[in-house]
Amino acid sequence: MGNLLDIISLILAVLASIFAIAGTLSLFRFPDCYTRLQASSLASSTAPFTIFLLSLVNAADVASAFRILLLMLFFLVSSPTSTHIISRYAWFSGITPWTKPGKLL
Amino acid sequence: MKALIFNATSWIFIACIGVAIIRLILGPRGADRLTALAVISSLILALLVLYGTQEGRLLYLDVALLYDVFGFLGILGIARFFREKERDDRRF
Repeated sequence: MGNLLDIISLILAVLASIFAIAGTLSLFRFPDCYTRLQASSLASSTAPFTIFLLSLVNAADVASAFRILLLMLFFLVSSPTSTHIISRYAWFSGITPWTKPGKLL
Repeated sequence: MKALIFNATSWIFIACIGVAIIRLILGPRGADRLTALAVISSLILALLVLYGTQEGRLLYLDVALLYDVFGFLGILGIARFFREKERDDRRF
């Protein structure tokens, strides 16, 4: 039983680390702020969600488990909304999306 | 085993925050800085939950919930506040 919990925690921790590293690298790999926003918001909303699952598996008692569930519920609302706010801000401040050089929009 | 997993994951997250601060400093426009800020905010949230579960303290989970709310409100406030400044260079 304890061994199974260790294996599940290891898988979730490796997944969260991959997501976090990918989300951080995507801030430097992409040419535009819209593409950067897409990649980094995808990775930076899955990395904390995997960490929440890891903490939910390892939760000590019922009180902390319910707190983590509440946090997951709020995070599912707030993370896409803040991404939408940032992209709307970028659009209204006049940044044109990046296209391939030599190709019109 | 479990302490090793938690420690390694939190050090990886701290390294990711340190790298994302570079983009926060040298982003050319405000939107790039906000993107880096959103990444840093969600990584710190994950770090708080991870540390609270590792130590077994409920206080860190409460702080994480508040941090989530205030990070969201901070991004909303910055986007509202700086739009007036950047409206000028939309003309050209």
